Formats: sequence, structure tokens, C-alpha cells
Amino acid sequence: MPENGKQFKPLDPLLHSELRLAVMSILLEVDSADFVYLKAETGATSGNLSVQIDKLQHAGYIEVTKGFKGKMPQTVCSITDCGRDAFAAYVDALRSYIPGR
Amino acid sequence: MKEMENNLTAENSLRLIAETIDRSRRTIARNSGRPLILWGVLVAVTATVIWALWSKTGSAAWNFLWFAMSAIGAVCMHLLMRSSEKVPETEVSRMLGKIWMWFGLFSTGFFALVWAAWGIRCAIGIEGPLSVDLTLIIVLLMGLCGTLSGAVLKFKPITVSSVVATTLSVLFLMVMPSGSPLRILSFVILGIFALVVPGVILQNQTKR
Repeated sequence: MPENGKQFKPLDPLLHSELRLAVMSILLEVDSADFVYLKAETGATSGNLSVQIDKLQHAGYIEVTKGFKGKMPQTVCSITDCGRDAFAAYVDALRSYIPGR
Repeated sequence: MKEMENNLTAENSLRLIAETIDRSRRTIARNSGRPLILWGVLVAVTATVIWALWSKTGSAAWNFLWFAMSAIGAVCMHLLMRSSEKVPETEVSRMLGKIWMWFGLFSTGFFALVWAAWGIRCAIGIEGPLSVDLTLIIVLLMGLCGTLSGAVLKFKPITVSSVVATTLSVLFLMVMPSGSPLRILSFVILGIFALVVPGVILQNQTKR
């Protein structure tokens, strides 16, 4: 417990990862984003990004739609209401770790 | 600083969120700069061509070239969107699209109404100038849409340059004699200062 008696709130382990947090931060601002955009914005490798997207999808934080754009396969991700709530709770929990907040 | 698992501190996590959101916003904003430049150049060039032809021939019918400009602009926009990096749609980009779509519809509608009114007056034999200043209406509409775009993008240079360009254009229209082809040059001021200049600033300021 911190000196001022304030409790540290538990952090969602699923969001407490650099890449997953970056993906969620991007999706929070847009209607949806495709895999290519997420890869460019996060600078992640395709393999790592795929794994993290799967984890977020299985938690119900994002929705993933696989389809085609022309002849090219396209993966489109969008944040769910559950993901939005989890993100808000995570940011709220983070604040409890910062003195003076 | 409280260390947490995964080597991410609370401060680092919050910084990562803020930086990622900011970077993504910049990427999306950068793509809004190019259409501004495209339409600004088209408006300025079309206005100059119409002024030159109207002055030479004395016919205001050259104003129909605005429709040709719209068609050329639509084709150029299509090509620009195809060659630009693909960015996701946001509430801001959707709102910008709607603002300029309504500007296009309103100005085309006004233009058509004025020509229809002119035709009716000629048909029933009413003489004298129309009591509607179409150029002033479109200049004001364009200035308002530019100012709103700046407000939506939260990008002050667009808001400021739109207000300045509209003021200069309206002043120019008030000084120029009614019915003079010179009045069409108010669109050159608007095209350059309300569209091209903010478009260039937007592109430069949002470069990675």
C-alpha cells in the first residue's frame, strides 16, 4: 500500500503489454483499422502482431473480420464495448500507481 | 516510480498510450492535407481561367467551367486516394467529408438556382440585374466550411487562414464593381489562403 494509504488497483495483464496496449490505443480512436495499418503504426512484426491480436480477440476486447480487398486478404480489427471498458479501467488503475493523482 | 510487471511503469504505459494515439492522429491528419492542396489549386486556377475568358469575351457563361472543375477534382481525388497510404476512417474524417459534401451541394444548388432564375426572368421579360450576389454567398460558404474544418481537426492554422482569407475575399468583393469579372478573383485569394496554405502546413507539421 502506498504511503498516502491509497490502494494500488490491479492492472489487466492482457493490456499490460506494450504491443497489445498500442493496438488498443489505435483502435480506440478509429472505426476500424486493417492489419497493414496496425503493423505500420506499431512497428511490430507480422507474427508478433498476429499473436497479440488473437489474444485481444479471445478476450473479447476487439473484433476481427477477415475478408478480401480485391484479390488481397484483409484483416480488419475494431474495438468492442467490452474492450473500451477494459481500457478505461486499465487507465484508471494506472493512475493509482502515480503519486499525486 | 513504481515498477510493475513486464518492465512497464505506470508513467511509461500512459506515455505509450498518448504517443500511439498522437502518431495515429498525425498519420490520419497528414492525409487531409493533400485534398486541401488539390482543391485549392483547382479553385485558384479555374477562377483565373474564368476571369481571363470572361474579360476577353464579356460572357459570364464561362462560369459553367466550375462544373468542369468539379468533375476534374473528383477524378483527381479518386487517383489521390488510390495512391495515398490507406488510413482508417474516424469521426473527424467522416465529419470533414460531410462538411465539404454539403458545401458542394449548396454551392451547386445556388448556382443552378441563379441560372434558373435568370432564365425565367429572360423568358417573362424582366430586366435589370439579379439582386443576389452568388459570388459573395459561395465565398462565405467556403470560408465557413474551411473554418469548421480547422475546428474539427483542432488545427489552428486552418481556422485562422480561413477567417483571414474570407475577410480579404469579402473585402475584395465589396471594393470591386458589381458585375465585374474581376470579382471572380476572390476565389483565387480563398483557394490559396484557405486551402493551399493550410494544406501545406498540415502536411509539413504532421510529417513523421
